[in-house]
Amino acid sequence: MEDVTLVNKYVNILAYYFKDKERPKCFPKRMEYGGRQVTFSETGLRHPTRKGQRMVHVFDMSDGEADYRLEFDAEVLSWKLIYIADVFHELAA
Amino acid sequence: MNLPLNAEEPRIMHIDLNSCFATVEQQARPRLRGRPVAVTNRKSRHAAVIIAASYEAKAAGIKVGMRTDEAMLLEPGLIIVETDPPKYHYVYQRLVGIMRSYSPDVVMKSIDEGIIDFHSTSSINKQSLKDIGMEIKERLKREVGIWMRCNIGIAPNRFLAKQAASLHKPDGLDTISHSNLRAVLKTLRLTDLTGIAICNQARLNAVGIYTPLQFLDASADDLRRRVFHSVCGEDWYKRLRGWEVDNYDSITKTVGRQYVLEDVRLSEQDVDSRLSYLCETTGLKLRSRNLCARGLYVYARYTSGDFWYERRMFKTTFYSTAEIYRRALLLFNNRPKDSYIQEIGVTCYGLELSHNNQISLLDEVNHEVWLTQAMDCVNEKYGESTLIYATSFPSRDIIKQKVPFGSTRYFELLCQS
Repeated sequence: MEDVTLVNKYVNILAYYFKDKERPKCFPKRMEYGGRQVTFSETGLRHPTRKGQRMVHVFDMSDGEADYRLEFDAEVLSWKLIYIADVFHELAA
Repeated sequence: MNLPLNAEEPRIMHIDLNSCFATVEQQARPRLRGRPVAVTNRKSRHAAVIIAASYEAKAAGIKVGMRTDEAMLLEPGLIIVETDPPKYHYVYQRLVGIMRSYSPDVVMKSIDEGIIDFHSTSSINKQSLKDIGMEIKERLKREVGIWMRCNIGIAPNRFLAKQAASLHKPDGLDTISHSNLRAVLKTLRLTDLTGIAICNQARLNAVGIYTPLQFLDASADDLRRRVFHSVCGEDWYKRLRGWEVDNYDSITKTVGRQYVLEDVRLSEQDVDSRLSYLCETTGLKLRSRNLCARGLYVYARYTSGDFWYERRMFKTTFYSTAEIYRRALLLFNNRPKDSYIQEIGVTCYGLELSHNNQISLLDEVNHEVWLTQAMDCVNEKYGESTLIYATSFPSRDIIKQKVPFGSTRYFELLCQS
């Protein structure tokens, strides 16, 4: 069984935006959470999901040590950390 | 009936994502890659079954349909993750987009498999179907993620294309045509054929058919009269020879929802609440297709193994959640109450086009229609289940949206958060 810590809190994210061949892309590079910085190394999957009429972009990110789910609300430009999976407990504390 | 093998150039392509949900989870979460992963609808050790397993889990003997506690005994390092329908919906949409860029004749058979018919585009597509297949594999990796793999089968009809797609898992690309059909069938067992499970195998064995080649060589008359005792025999005769018999459209005849209770010792009030929530989803599905129902079927399965159901055709049609629940409860209250319930379900049938634009002479009917419309508007704006009936409320966070297997009719609707 894996260790999933639900967080569901707004976080500060430093993100890169760049234009690929077809559409603009976003890569959340660094996150500030719980007094420490997490530097992401890979995007697993980015998928949009509807919350009523709002569109929220879900990013499944990894820093090589744990997996993080982030939600980006394109309407209010806010980032939310949803959960951390398979991770050290002190990070979520 | 005496048909030769269909000698037409293969123009049907079947695409099947490998262990779809598990692969998508591994794509989304790099740390799961290369590890045994099982996807389940509910993260419970006892009441949950595995609906998808990664290839690493399959190598450890874990199969789809196995209970999670049994799977954990086989592979203690198994990582169990819960389904995440929006993620699968995204991959599904990308797959459909890729497929439609080659031909407008695309039919999705389920959430993870679809068919491209190249008959109408054979004069436009200059590439061979094998090259297109390779390109689709490459695009899937580029546009969705590097961990994504798919099996592709090319054949003159849908059945053989699906068969071809299952020859070399994972990441296969195979063609079955009249020239290699016998050679391919020679390597298979009867139960390797799609649609032939234990019962059909027994029927075939009973008339001396033990291999797919003997099945192919059987006459249409024998298959119809001695094996299947119906027109299905002739369909199998044509199907195996590469002639198309599976390109029909299905019509929606029933709409419903089932739920295995999270705890068999729930109070009667809790069971009613679960039933009410099932009625909410059923009503939502009905209204999304602009349908109303006349018939209702309610069932309960007990821990003792007993099964109870009651169905009724009503004089008036209905489509609102309140009305479905009221009628469902009317039937559900007739159930035997001497054992614990394990599973409940509600199904609407006798479907017809909704006539809710007709204002009723009865005020109470109009009020209910307007209330339902207002609730649907609020839920559409702020998300599913924002506004629900008080009876359903305790179940809102317990009954989670399942991944729809088979039909993808309600996928768009059910993937809203």
